[in-house]
Amino acid sequence: MQDVGRPLTGAQEGLWFAQRLDPANPIFLTGQAIVIDGLLDRARFVAALDGAMQEADGLALRFADGPDGPRQWLDEAARPRPELVDLRHLPDPEAAWRAAVDADMATPVDLEAGGLVAQRLFVLSRERHVWYQRIHHLLVDGYGTDLLTRRVGQLYAGGGEPFGPFSAVLAEAAAYRGSEREAADHRFWLEMFGDRPDVAPMAQGPAVSGHRFHRVARPLDPVLAARLLARAEAAGVTWPDVLAALVAAYVQRHAGGPEAILGVPHMGRFGSAAANVPAMVMNVLPVRFAIDEEQGLDAFLAGAARALRQARRHGRYRSEQLRRDLGLLGGSRRLHGPLVNVLPFEAPLVLDGLETELIVLGTGPVDDLTFTFRGDPAGAGLRLELDSNPGLFDLAATEVQADRLACFLQNALAAERLADVPTLTPAEARHWLVEVNQTAHPVEDTTLTALIERQLAADPRAPAVRFGELVLDRGALDRQSGRLAGRLAAMGVGPGSVVAVALPRSLELIVALTAILRAGGAYLPLDLAQPKERLRRMLATAAPSLVLTFSDQHDRLPDGWPLLDLDRAEDGGEGATVRPPAPGDAAYVIFTSGSTGEPKGVVNEHAGIVNRLCWMQAHYRISPGDRILQKTPVTFDVSVWELFLPLISGAELVIAPPEAHKDPAWLVRIIKEQGVTTLHFVPSMLAAFLEEPACRGLRLRQVFCSGEELPAALRDRFHARMGAELHNLYGPTEAAVDVSYWPAGPEDRSSPVPIGFPVWNTALYVLDERMRPVPPGVAGHLHLGGRQIARGYLGRPDLTAERFGPDPFRPGERLYRTGDLARWRPDGACEFLGRSDHQVKIRGLRIELGEIEAALQACPEVGQAVVLARAGNDGEPVLAAYVTPAAGTVPEPATLRAELGRHLPDYMLPASFMVLASLPTNANGKLDRAALPAPELAPAAGRAAEGFAEERLARLFAEVLGREVGAEDDFFLAGGHSLLAVRLARRIRAEWGLEVGLGLVFEHPTIARLARQLELMAAAPDARSGNGLGPCIRLGADRGGELPPLFCIHPAGGIAWCYGGLARALGGSRPVFGLQADGLDPVAPLPASLDEMAETYLARIRPIRPDGPIHLLGWSVGGIVAQAIAARLGAEAGLLAMLDSYPCERWREEPPPAADAALKALLYIAGQDPERMAGLELTRDAVVGFLRDSGHALGGLDDRALDGVLRVVAANDRLVRGHWHRPFAGRLDHFRATEGNETRGLDPLAWRSHVGQLVVHDVRSVHGHMLTEPALGRIVPVLEARMAEVERVCLALPA
Amino acid sequence: MGEERARSAAELTLESMRREIAALLHDDPEEIGTDDSLIDLGLDSMRAMALVRRWQEIGVRAEFSAFAATPTLAHWWDVVQRSRG
Repeated sequence: MQDVGRPLTGAQEGLWFAQRLDPANPIFLTGQAIVIDGLLDRARFVAALDGAMQEADGLALRFADGPDGPRQWLDEAARPRPELVDLRHLPDPEAAWRAAVDADMATPVDLEAGGLVAQRLFVLSRERHVWYQRIHHLLVDGYGTDLLTRRVGQLYAGGGEPFGPFSAVLAEAAAYRGSEREAADHRFWLEMFGDRPDVAPMAQGPAVSGHRFHRVARPLDPVLAARLLARAEAAGVTWPDVLAALVAAYVQRHAGGPEAILGVPHMGRFGSAAANVPAMVMNVLPVRFAIDEEQGLDAFLAGAARALRQARRHGRYRSEQLRRDLGLLGGSRRLHGPLVNVLPFEAPLVLDGLETELIVLGTGPVDDLTFTFRGDPAGAGLRLELDSNPGLFDLAATEVQADRLACFLQNALAAERLADVPTLTPAEARHWLVEVNQTAHPVEDTTLTALIERQLAADPRAPAVRFGELVLDRGALDRQSGRLAGRLAAMGVGPGSVVAVALPRSLELIVALTAILRAGGAYLPLDLAQPKERLRRMLATAAPSLVLTFSDQHDRLPDGWPLLDLDRAEDGGEGATVRPPAPGDAAYVIFTSGSTGEPKGVVNEHAGIVNRLCWMQAHYRISPGDRILQKTPVTFDVSVWELFLPLISGAELVIAPPEAHKDPAWLVRIIKEQGVTTLHFVPSMLAAFLEEPACRGLRLRQVFCSGEELPAALRDRFHARMGAELHNLYGPTEAAVDVSYWPAGPEDRSSPVPIGFPVWNTALYVLDERMRPVPPGVAGHLHLGGRQIARGYLGRPDLTAERFGPDPFRPGERLYRTGDLARWRPDGACEFLGRSDHQVKIRGLRIELGEIEAALQACPEVGQAVVLARAGNDGEPVLAAYVTPAAGTVPEPATLRAELGRHLPDYMLPASFMVLASLPTNANGKLDRAALPAPELAPAAGRAAEGFAEERLARLFAEVLGREVGAEDDFFLAGGHSLLAVRLARRIRAEWGLEVGLGLVFEHPTIARLARQLELMAAAPDARSGNGLGPCIRLGADRGGELPPLFCIHPAGGIAWCYGGLARALGGSRPVFGLQADGLDPVAPLPASLDEMAETYLARIRPIRPDGPIHLLGWSVGGIVAQAIAARLGAEAGLLAMLDSYPCERWREEPPPAADAALKALLYIAGQDPERMAGLELTRDAVVGFLRDSGHALGGLDDRALDGVLRVVAANDRLVRGHWHRPFAGRLDHFRATEGNETRGLDPLAWRSHVGQLVVHDVRSVHGHMLTEPALGRIVPVLEARMAEVERVCLALPA
Repeated sequence: MGEERARSAAELTLESMRREIAALLHDDPEEIGTDDSLIDLGLDSMRAMALVRRWQEIGVRAEFSAFAATPTLAHWWDVVQRSRG
């Protein structure tokens, strides 16, 4: 190697850039300690170590960044020297070496400063030593470390082969670059990943390594090792490949989907000159494992091994490059999931007569999970090490994963098919099937009828039911219902009969329902507002003995059923024998809508509802002092406890008038006037109720929610407005009302709010497709068992058999499949995730719509939110969001989209947002999804695309936007956002084969302009303008505006894309140009002063606008530059506008910028307040990852451009501090951000000494939001008026 | 194929190694040319490691790295012979 140094290999480059992006991160250090017990010949060992270092050229390297990228040199001064550290004088040498090593491993190294290797021998005692070796990953990989260890052992023993030269590794890497083999590898990988598979994660969150990792190590059972060898032999697969394949199957159990894509570290030494060279050569290969659980296990293993062999054959192609090829940048889009690393024959250090123990301290970044297997199943044994990213897994979760995997492997190795392998350990299965369901509780074996009669007889004078002014005492209710029961019995009603009830809320309704139960029948509530045809079908299915109604309701009922009018005094039935029901008889029949549209009649029995009501009475201490409001329509099963809990507990039943349940103000009045202590809301109704000002400060005992998901934000709003307990209950109609409960008190911070724990004698199971219990945190199908399970669907044995079956976990009991998705929290609370049909797949990824809804509901301007998957233009599902405004706000789709982008991956962002005054509800007050309008997509306007390029682009626009647009429509006004722009740029790149950056779409947002630009680029492919980072860019759509242009000068980051919204708001009446910093190109020189910058920019303005008036505008630093340009222009200057800019003397007083100032500035530029982002590490990785995840345009920049931005930020800080303003005699229009500047002491009046006239316009905005709505709504009219005024004077245009 | 495998380092011959590699690749021994790249014949690093590991177990005193640099039967035979000397 010569003095100019050599470029880094691809393998080195990846680590170089990763470390440079995050210089303070020590995760890139690899390290190990080997404890040596016995009489070590210390001098011989140090000589062996030194000898190994003398041979290992790859560890004697110096690195430096240069204009053509980083270079490396062999440098004797950098050659590591063994250090002897004697700890014998210390009281606790054992603790001392650990502390020294831990501290060293936590200290990042500067790649250019050297010190990349440490070789230390700690002397603990005469017979105990520790050899500590720490090497930056840039210099060595796991295989290389193993080579070093062996070599030291050989030299200690005397002999062995020396290492090969490092130059051979460089030569091999250079030969590969541009070779036919590289091209073939490239083709292989692009074909393998051509469908851009989405990697389903095991844990949600960005897979970007932090500064540390969790490590859990488990020795694997010798039985497992023996099975592994036998299985490998049987399948004709190496045992390491068996392990990799089974880890893939394990990962898929957690992440779902048809395949698992794992990262497989590949040593890259086979057939390579690097076989005997310690160096960084390793590559992480993304390997796709198709998981077919039905397949024979040996066939599965053989297939997986084939995939691994294929990948290894093309293993030289860098996965970093593949990531670039596929456009997978940032942490939100992954190339692969967890890593599986099998190190088969890692030999321990062999030193004659001594015992050694290897302690692995660090092996590099841990993005997600890394499953490492060390050792030899045929020899000393096998060990599992599980490393996890603490940002995604805590230590306890990591331990659970390690134990679960060990058990999974043990079972899988003995299985015929993966289908037979449980996901959980036996202890876990016991926990999640049995222990969480230990709900056994004695409940009287009786009927609802008996409980009601007992209570009615207890105190005949006590009031039982209130309806407005009317009060029915228990005696009266007993007499009236008894009489009616007799009449019903006389008409043939008894156990097994169904009696329909078509009555509004009234005292008669209560009497009727009580009478039916007393007569032994089951009641069937009917809602006469429903279409007659539907009622006819329901009656035909239920075949009731008769229908109880009022005489004025007949015409709303279908013909052909015997009616009994309760408003006509009629006697009869005395003497008829009433036959009481048994616990196994039906108590009520309630119809639910089926997915087919045919209503299904669910039959619930006495034993079930008795269990439910007794649990509730005991659990919530319902007593005669309570007043329970009955406001739920009786066709909805929530009404069952509202009606009968008071009747069995002695509480008073307060009946809300018909229609009152929809009127919050009316409800407040009833609650206050009637002293209601307990009531129920469907969450969407509770949301509406809380909007009612009169509910403020309302106090009562308890409010129950069920029927829908209870959003966490609604829970919090509830406690802010009202004083009451809040309880979240869950249960389908197919069980007796509710089967689980969760106290959603004011201190509850859960999000989502769980549905909680099973009620008495009830079991909740979360199972996968094969009825296996799933781990906590993993979504599964919610199944119910226990006493409250309904009998089934009336007259539909087929449907009953489909949803109800034997409980496989409790012999003799029944199970109901809810069709709901749920997952366990580690603490045993169950979380509801939506209907399984509420789960959609978009681009193959499972999406829980509930998760998107929860994120929307967390936005302050959103009241209620619902998200649906609807067929898009191409038939593929797209997500449509519907929201209602929170009181006093106006949700903006763009704002909501941006906000969601902060919390959700891009594939979960809805394609359309509609703001509705209210969400449609059905008769039960539940959301009526079918009644939601189709997503609103504005029609295309203007000229259609013409010509080849435009038509091709029009197709891409339509694909990305999900709608057709005209040739001159602005992408961003047509629903495009930066994430879609990223997608569009990627598509253009693929189709045109041109280096199209995201910026091109920002600069040329219409089909017509993009087409023109692409044609230009195709003609001159090296045109720098293609990335939108050129020195002067056109912003917004050009509609040929003829007015003098407005020039906008970039803020601190040097990029002027932020003025795009301003350009659009100006409506195309005049061209808008953005001036951008030269320094964005990392090799371009930076201006020496701000004056020089102003001079350069003016030279760029002149060719576009040779004469005055020249309108200038700048945000932040841009305003300072604008003033400097205006000072040069003098009378030629037109508008001079500043958006919250302050003079330089103010900045000179500031302390010098901290190391992270540029990153903070980057966040500021992105509209974020870094001071409020406590959770975000101020490292380049974290900030860039955040920007990418949040979909901000800056996140779409490539690394080179980001370097440019960071460079410009730093330079601008320097230039501003060194700038002295020249006076500008004209007028300055200063737009002051009134929010958030109070404490910073910034005052626009400071400009008075630098301009002739100062006009300050206050804008209610923070600094960072000056270029977004609503601030633009305030700023743009002022700008327009001022520019028009200037033009009238300068150009003598007519007023 | 088990009985065709050498049971000690001394028993290893060029032909027994050829047979063993062929069995691993599900190929006929005559398909394994002495100077062919074993990678081109479909041998991957994991299976090569397993093979070397077996030879080490029967007494071959050579590291995987000695075999790995040049994956041809000729070279591997050379490594085995040298390890005897």
